[in-house]
Amino acid sequence: MSLELVCPAGTPSALRAAVEAGAHSVYCGFRDETNARNFPGLNFSPDEMIEGVRFAHAHGAKVLVAINTFAKAGSMEAWKAALANAEKAGADAVILADLAVLDHAATHHPNLRLHLSVQAAAATPEAIAFYADTFGVKRVVMPRVLSVEEIAKLNAAINVETEAFVFGGLCPMTEGRCSLSSYATGKSPNLTGVCSPPEHVAYSEDRNGTATRLNGFTIDRFGAGEQAGYPTLCKGRFVAGGKTSYLFEDPVSLNAASLIAAFAKAGITALKIEGRQRGKGYVTEVVRTFRAAVDAIDAGGTEVEVGRLLAGLVEGGRQTSGAYKKTWR
Amino acid sequence: MAEHFRGELPRLLRILAAPAGFLPLGPALTLAVRRFARRKPTVFDRLGEYGKCSFLIEPSDLDFSFLMVPDGVRSEVKCMRRRATQPADVTVRAPLLVLLGLLDGTLDGDAMFFNRAISVSGRTDALVALRNAIEDAELTPADFVGATGGLGKLVDRSVIGGLGLARRFTGSPIHGEPS
Ligand code: SF4
Repeated sequence: MSLELVCPAGTPSALRAAVEAGAHSVYCGFRDETNARNFPGLNFSPDEMIEGVRFAHAHGAKVLVAINTFAKAGSMEAWKAALANAEKAGADAVILADLAVLDHAATHHPNLRLHLSVQAAAATPEAIAFYADTFGVKRVVMPRVLSVEEIAKLNAAINVETEAFVFGGLCPMTEGRCSLSSYATGKSPNLTGVCSPPEHVAYSEDRNGTATRLNGFTIDRFGAGEQAGYPTLCKGRFVAGGKTSYLFEDPVSLNAASLIAAFAKAGITALKIEGRQRGKGYVTEVVRTFRAAVDAIDAGGTEVEVGRLLAGLVEGGRQTSGAYKKTWR
Repeated sequence: MAEHFRGELPRLLRILAAPAGFLPLGPALTLAVRRFARRKPTVFDRLGEYGKCSFLIEPSDLDFSFLMVPDGVRSEVKCMRRRATQPADVTVRAPLLVLLGLLDGTLDGDAMFFNRAISVSGRTDALVALRNAIEDAELTPADFVGATGGLGKLVDRSVIGGLGLARRFTGSPIHGEPS
């Protein structure tokens, strides 16, 4: 069975671009705090979601709706409405993380196919079995801290599908559990749907280059002509032990294209491209390139040179295979 | 400052473009944006409260800049000589061809930022909202001149073809490859 390519869409036009570029599935979310890409001007209204699903289905593609933030205690209305709107739109699956949202979906929307978001950080056979047995979860998105060998072992011990990130921005921390953004701004991807929210980000230029500030904290400084990265704390440069360095993670993008064949062998069902906050230019190029790469591997051909083809689209101008090939110290 | 950055218009073209600063570009663009707001109001819904913000757009290779308030049918665009520094909520600076590539979705805003082809200052949230609204707008050159049907297609084909040629000629980033 060939690998399913799951592609990002932050707007209806990006959804159409992804489908036209060859996405098997597109994932997207509603324009509120129920999804982990809650950026200003991004995402779908309920009507746009209906239209998006109609377009995708007419072209043979699926739509997976991300409702993957953690619901606020005592105020679950937005998450309940998102589930109802996803079902009404005819979504092929919803991607959830929160136990209460999973429970509500399993109880009130039994026909919705449930996928477990990377935000739930389920990385053991026991955790995955719990979600599958309790809520009927059919697919789990793998946390980006596992190696390919670990995913292969996990797949042998579980009976649900797995989906692994193959390209795009990286969270170096375990997803759903990072508090760096909350610490600096009071808002986080886990609860508000956005890491390092743009209303807290400011760039200023002086003779030494560009300084990036997050809620008043200077988190990086780029010299003229130096590659830049996202303004998240994990990609900031700090002084520790008398040395200035990227303390948590360099500004690099994940590119695991060289592992597509290994992913298929490890029993992974779907490959996910990150980037709902990116534009149509990115979506078209990345989806088209990865579709060619997946088709080539499928046909027993050789690898497509994804790294070179997409070099200009990546954060910090650098790419990494992340934890997939990492041997932890 | 270097005389010519990658992707910027060559000196001769900049000189030729200079008189454009005296044309009534502002009123023409104001009309075009308002006309577009009537046709596609959802694009401005996407902007929400940020429609009231002012955006100063500075083509780094031209001597004039644009100040825009994208407030739906009340939108306003002013064209100004560069020297007339105007306070704005957001300032975006990039070579003209890069700005046009961002407008029509050919280029990716994040990639342009990573590669330092654009520089931004001011309210990042307003800029992100505008970027996302423009992304979804699927703007074409015909939208700016109000051309529709066969004429619209002709305008789009000629302008997009011309821009492609211009990008190749100036070495402007294509799909955001490192500059
Ligand atoms: S700070 Fe970095 S690791 Fe933490 S949530 Fe944000 S992007 Fe992810």
